[in-house]
Amino acid sequence: MSVAALNKVQMKFKEYKSEVPVVWCPGCGHHGILNGVYRALADAGVDPTKLMSISGIGCSSRTPYFIQSYKMHTLHGRAGAVATGAQLARPDLAVMVTGGDGDGFSIGGGHMPHMARKNVNMTYVLYDNGIYGLTKGQYSPTSRPEMKAYTTPYGGPEDPMNPLLYMLTYGATYVAQAFAGKPKLCAELIKGALEHRGFSYVNIFSQCPSFNKIDTIQFYRNLVQEIPEDHDTSDLGRAIELSRPESNGGKAPMGLLYKKDKPTLDERMQEIVEKVGGHADYDVNKIIQMSRP
Amino acid sequence: MAKNDLIIRVAGEGGEGIISSGDFIAAACARAGQEVYTFKTFPAEIKGGYAMYQVRTSPDKVVNQGDTFDVFCAFNGEAFEVNKHLFTPGTAVVYDYPGGDFEPDALPEGVHGYPIPMSQTAKDLKSYRSKNMVALGALSVLFNIPEETLKQVLSDKFGKKGKEILDLNLQAFSKGKELAQAMEKTDSFKLADPKDPKDVIIISGNDAAGLGGIIGGISFFSAYPLTPSTEVAKYVSIHLPKLGGTLVQAEDEIAAVSQLMGASYAGAKVMTSTSGPGLSLMAEMLGMASMAEIPVVIVDVQRGGPSTGLPTKHEQSDLFLAIHGTHGDAPRIVLSVEDVKDCVDMTVEALNLAEKYQNPVILLSDGSLAFSTQTIPTPDPSSYEIINRKRWDGEGEYLRYKLTDDNISPMADPGTENAMHIATGLEHGENGAPKWTPDNHELMHRKRFNKIKPVVEEYTPVEVDGDGDADVGVITWGSTIGVVREAVARLRADGHKVKGFYPKLMWPMPVDQYEEFAKTCKKILVPEVNFQGQLSHFIRSETSIQPIPYTICGGLPFTPAMVVDKVKEVI
Repeated sequence: MSVAALNKVQMKFKEYKSEVPVVWCPGCGHHGILNGVYRALADAGVDPTKLMSISGIGCSSRTPYFIQSYKMHTLHGRAGAVATGAQLARPDLAVMVTGGDGDGFSIGGGHMPHMARKNVNMTYVLYDNGIYGLTKGQYSPTSRPEMKAYTTPYGGPEDPMNPLLYMLTYGATYVAQAFAGKPKLCAELIKGALEHRGFSYVNIFSQCPSFNKIDTIQFYRNLVQEIPEDHDTSDLGRAIELSRPESNGGKAPMGLLYKKDKPTLDERMQEIVEKVGGHADYDVNKIIQMSRP
Repeated sequence: MAKNDLIIRVAGEGGEGIISSGDFIAAACARAGQEVYTFKTFPAEIKGGYAMYQVRTSPDKVVNQGDTFDVFCAFNGEAFEVNKHLFTPGTAVVYDYPGGDFEPDALPEGVHGYPIPMSQTAKDLKSYRSKNMVALGALSVLFNIPEETLKQVLSDKFGKKGKEILDLNLQAFSKGKELAQAMEKTDSFKLADPKDPKDVIIISGNDAAGLGGIIGGISFFSAYPLTPSTEVAKYVSIHLPKLGGTLVQAEDEIAAVSQLMGASYAGAKVMTSTSGPGLSLMAEMLGMASMAEIPVVIVDVQRGGPSTGLPTKHEQSDLFLAIHGTHGDAPRIVLSVEDVKDCVDMTVEALNLAEKYQNPVILLSDGSLAFSTQTIPTPDPSSYEIINRKRWDGEGEYLRYKLTDDNISPMADPGTENAMHIATGLEHGENGAPKWTPDNHELMHRKRFNKIKPVVEEYTPVEVDGDGDADVGVITWGSTIGVVREAVARLRADGHKVKGFYPKLMWPMPVDQYEEFAKTCKKILVPEVNFQGQLSHFIRSETSIQPIPYTICGGLPFTPAMVVDKVKEVI
């Protein structure tokens, strides 16, 4: 995230709330995540005027309405690509995407690898509830096959994807996971993501009491396990191992798995601009002269 | 064909130096003070396959590729076979013989043959790649292309590759020259006498669109490669970083247009380039651009469709998509280009209109212009008016979608104090918050559609070619305009009462101007390169005119002769 946008203001976390009332169902995990977002913004000292909060479509994609910032509510799956353009055009600002598992990994799945591998300097907070909530309960890319949903009345025919493994494999430079029932940890990990220069991804399990009847708050409580304190966050191999419940007694890791310093896409583009001597008042006539016969 | 024109067609297999030969001839002609219009076709394969490059040149302005060719240069048997049905009495044919890959049939009566052993000569020089230089040497002698000018062009081109390569090529050139000098010239074609070079550049339609973007002030460009649009991105990728701008090759067209949306919202002037299949993918986001009132410019270099269709061929069939391609009621501004000069000018115009009206603008170019290089007056960047979006002045409460007299609401770049707001694809009230009351949806629709209405009045009036009453009025768009211009000129010179009408603002349609033109014509003919007659469709639906569609869709542009014949048929 941009240094200019950070540590500029001292605001209480409540001051990041917009006047728009939160519309999620009672008991929805997203409330906890949103509290984590507010607290993270406050703890990182993000200047709301210099924050671009961007989302796609879905329950969690309503988040920008609820926070003080410049914001865009875009289309199904496109938040990441929109955010990429916004960040590259204005590297001086902070960019944060909030969205769900269906939005990010199903319809928007084509964009996810590229934000990660290009190391776009932005934060992606993914509210993972294993269901499509806003369309009333269809299975998502992270749904377990056991789930009988709106369009899987006999159970699902597919295995779920593993967002952490995916992000680690594609080269995200900050990968963390939390659970909506732990808003303080959410806040801590999102703050770390906001302060990270590069593509930071925070996957947060969020119970959907209305439509996902199997991934209850109790289920997630039993599923997650804090990452050992001595975990070396620069060890990609170990992070990949931790990300796989198969190798961890079925447990999902909670905490920061991986962090790496690497030039961001805008920095590398700036290098190119400098290499070719680029500046805004370059004489366009010089370019035109190159087409002389 | 105009009297002083010379049309040279070079054809052979991709990789034999067809394209570079054409480029050298075109550059030499331009340096000799001539106007140039080139036309190419090439296969979808990377190597091999039939490739053709045609140079039409004249001391006077040339506005299309011509009816056919005067001079044909065949690098191989296939090229000869493909083109021999076009030979007419008088045509000059230079071909690779003996030692090439074919034994040509006896040339038809009246065709002038110049057998030049191109392959063999190159082989003797132990430089097979310089076969095209042998051809160029021969063409230079036979058709009066100034030798020194041509050699200078070669030096400029090959000089960078080292003296050895240059010398080898010049040697092959000289051999070709000698071979031709030993022949008797029997045809009548020659390049007009050299004049002082004009203040021109020679540039392709795609490069010109890239240049237009740069002159128009873009600071952000993102695109996904798609034939025949890719060179727009290539040109921008070379030059935009020099201006400190940002260029992205997106993962797909959806990402490209989405990135434009984010960048434009963040305050940048943005553009992308694509072709029909890519524009299809962008359609959903274009709806959001209309709804969220975010300026974006898309240059659509049309190709044969639907689907992957004819990827490398010419067609003008994205008009339906450009005007209406998205869900819901979404206002759209669509422009088209006539020639390479327009590719510069209209791209600037597209950026201006997008910024002024905070709306997506689609600029329709086409496969014929994409690769056509033309001599155009050297553009002067300071002569273009550049319009930037209306920005908030900091007074009072900021409302992103404020209802104003001209329906244009000031924008505030992120980072501006006291102007935080949301841009959204949901229907919204003045402050951007979702608002789904029936009254509000209608009100906001009216705002968005009324906003772009003035384009019709403010935009340059449609050019009418010819005056008085006419038996036939020809309305056309895109690169077909250049063809129709010549057809109308020929018909009028022959005493026919014919006029032309050339809209470049395709949407919203300047309906009054269409009607006024039609009043002076007994019949309206609309030639266009698509199957359904897409412009004819809009003329029928938006005006009281009942046009006669004239459509072709074989992957090639019209020729002036085709339009002349059709007009005579309907008169």
